[in-house]
Amino acid sequence: MTEDVLRVNDLSTRFFTTEGQINAVSSLDLRIERGEIFGIVGESGSGKSVTARSVMNLIESPGEITSGEIWYRNRDLVAEVEDDYPDAVDGEFVDLLELPDDLRRSLRGTSFSMIFQDPESSFNSTLTVGEQLAEAVEVQRRASANPRSTRARTREYSLGNYLLSSVLPSQRYVSEASRERAIELLEMVGIPDPVERADEYPHEYSGGMLQRAMIAQALAGEPDVLVADEPTTALDVTIQAQVLDLLDDLQERTGMTILLITHNLGVIARMCDRVGVMYAGEIVERGRLEDVFDEHVHPYTEGLLGSVPDLERAGDRLQPIPGNVPSLIDAEMDDRCYFADRCPKAMETCLEHPPEYDAGGSDRHQARCVLAEIDYEEGRALPADYFGDTERPAGDKHADPDRTEDDVEPERTRSVVDDSGGDRR
Amino acid sequence: MSSGQPLVRVEELQKYFWEQDSILDRLLGAEPVPVRAVDGVSFDIYRGETLGLVGESGCGKSTAGETLLRLQEPTDGHVEFDEHDVYELAGSELTEFRRDAQVVFQDPFSSLDPRMTIGEIVRQPLDVHNVDTVEKRRERVRELLERVGLSADQLDRYPHEFSGGQRQRIGIARALALEPEFLVLDEPTSALDVSVQAQVLNLLDELQAEFDLTYLLISHDLSVIRHICDRVAVMYLGEIVEIGPVEAIFEEPKHPYTEALLESVPRATTDERERDRETISGDVPSPRDPPSGCRFRTRCPKVIPPDDVEIDQEEYRAIMDLRERIERRDISLESVGEDGGFEFVDGAVSETDLPAFVTALKTRVIDRTLAPEHDEVVEEALAELASSNWERAADVLSSRYESVCERRRPELGEESHPAACHLHDDAEESIRR
Repeated sequence: MTEDVLRVNDLSTRFFTTEGQINAVSSLDLRIERGEIFGIVGESGSGKSVTARSVMNLIESPGEITSGEIWYRNRDLVAEVEDDYPDAVDGEFVDLLELPDDLRRSLRGTSFSMIFQDPESSFNSTLTVGEQLAEAVEVQRRASANPRSTRARTREYSLGNYLLSSVLPSQRYVSEASRERAIELLEMVGIPDPVERADEYPHEYSGGMLQRAMIAQALAGEPDVLVADEPTTALDVTIQAQVLDLLDDLQERTGMTILLITHNLGVIARMCDRVGVMYAGEIVERGRLEDVFDEHVHPYTEGLLGSVPDLERAGDRLQPIPGNVPSLIDAEMDDRCYFADRCPKAMETCLEHPPEYDAGGSDRHQARCVLAEIDYEEGRALPADYFGDTERPAGDKHADPDRTEDDVEPERTRSVVDDSGGDRR
Repeated sequence: MSSGQPLVRVEELQKYFWEQDSILDRLLGAEPVPVRAVDGVSFDIYRGETLGLVGESGCGKSTAGETLLRLQEPTDGHVEFDEHDVYELAGSELTEFRRDAQVVFQDPFSSLDPRMTIGEIVRQPLDVHNVDTVEKRRERVRELLERVGLSADQLDRYPHEFSGGQRQRIGIARALALEPEFLVLDEPTSALDVSVQAQVLNLLDELQAEFDLTYLLISHDLSVIRHICDRVAVMYLGEIVEIGPVEAIFEEPKHPYTEALLESVPRATTDERERDRETISGDVPSPRDPPSGCRFRTRCPKVIPPDDVEIDQEEYRAIMDLRERIERRDISLESVGEDGGFEFVDGAVSETDLPAFVTALKTRVIDRTLAPEHDEVVEEALAELASSNWERAADVLSSRYESVCERRRPELGEESHPAACHLHDDAEESIRR
């Protein structure tokens, strides 16, 4: 199983805000193999969720995918689109960004599915869980019956239908078959008594069960690629362990590919075959799990691992990374290694933006850091105050780029991109 | 560290929140329902130590923290701070307590007033308690900001100009303004990224050494607890199930819940995928109607069968789960069996259909084969369900399988590392004799 199912080349996603252009994802390359679990780990504001949403085509204004290609391997899709969009086809691959929106939308659910962080806000609280699953099933069924037209799908949901369904309970499920499939799906994700649970509303579910139901909904269309964006962040540890077991088990049974986005290194270690570490919109280090956890080259990866308190041993002092996640505002980003201002091993060479180097370990191991090529030399180190005030641990203030990104903490999305000056150079 | 008089002594603290308690509910004759957020917890916090309070969401750890600071009025119980009963304090004594005990909240985004500059925020406690002259207060604010790693010339800025980690530092500076002895840290780092979390944890460590602070750290993150606590109390559904020195809790957990918690945390190492994990099933029950006896028994992987019953733990678990569902009447009998199921006449399945009904129901509710003697009892109970006889069905099971875990509430002992679990009863009793 070594064929790539997804090839992302040179993807850039930007947000055009009143504070300036924000480079949430810049020139990102990604190869995901069929049947693997690929993890993206990073702090809030590193661009990991935006990457996921770009793949899903869920970027909304003021965001925009400004360049790049997303090649998706699917022979059926190739056959379907090669006449109309010859430019978008290359062998068995289709460039999703070349396809029109409605076609891309029809891939959602059947080829790509996504589960979100917060199950409580991802369900409609006025419909039963069973109905919402049946709805997903129904959309998939119509999509596969009538793949090219997206209009036909909405025709059956008329206003009359809606009104009827609010008075007649028998009308609530689109069809008996979809109801049964919904119950099957609930059973598949390990919800006890799926028959009873299907008729309950989301508020009657616990957080863990809702997350299971969301996984069921995502799997309704038997997708090739499941994008899981912080699937367990809102859950308690005992429930998190259950949900991770479930995902692992489902992946094994269906052979689907999972792109797992998380800030939790433990979850990455538990689930992933390969992992990419994101920082400031780029993957700074990638490789097999062992490469990144044990043989890491990039000082950021080291800092990230050093920041996690050890559960097995009582703590020495933690080794945090000084400073904060950088601003991603275009005007503030110099053409250098974006981590250099926080890096304990910054050298003169780091003032040039590094390419990805091969970095020992397995042949998949790459790092965007000159240390992969040369050893650290004190003599060439940048003076400690080279970046001025920004070096002072957390004493500076950086813009919080999270306004444009739903990330780890929901509260963060409310915070404002700061524009009141300070240490801007 | 755990010698001498405790600074804070919590005894049988209870905090219930009441539902259906409005005047309208009273007029309609509805009984108020207590939500037992904190249900009789006792612990001591000694001077200079950090006690961790760990548990899943909804277990009452934050409520316990707020109640012992008297930010909530308790339903019952006592809290002594420096040998004074906190709930009896009034006047200047209460004011003094408010100065000596401070709190840092979880969410640095909503716990700072967006319309005040950070200078004003940190100075506010000084103003309220009228400490020193205005000039000295300003000086103190600068000092505090510098101490927590911010720059003093930032004091005219507003909270929104700071990142999460910096705001949490502001919250800490505010809590330190009055030179308290005791700090309740309510999930101080759970809204932060790991690298920033590490900075804040290191800061808290330094401050404790520098100002002789005593901490109560409330957290759901076991690795944070392990990192900075001296002793740990594990809470489940409003009760403390185990308390002891941090090493003992992590190396030799006694309570099955503590074990399960530790097992569930994914480790950030490459061995993680191969690690043998024993996770627990099910969700935390509602604190409105907590299980009798041991509250963890509904999920416990080590629940104790009666002495005279020989049974495999997994089979026992399955039967206990079934019994609970019968007690909750949480099985829809109408949908048993293929298409349309069985016909219920006057709430009962006809005599001829009975064996088929029992078999169909059994495959649905029990997902493993039971040993013959237990199979028999289960079938007997399910046969009662065929005539919608829920109570009889539950009785059949409970008369045979009632566990000590549901009859008696396990007590938390007095020794240095007690666990509230019947598995450890014997040891305790033999010590007493």
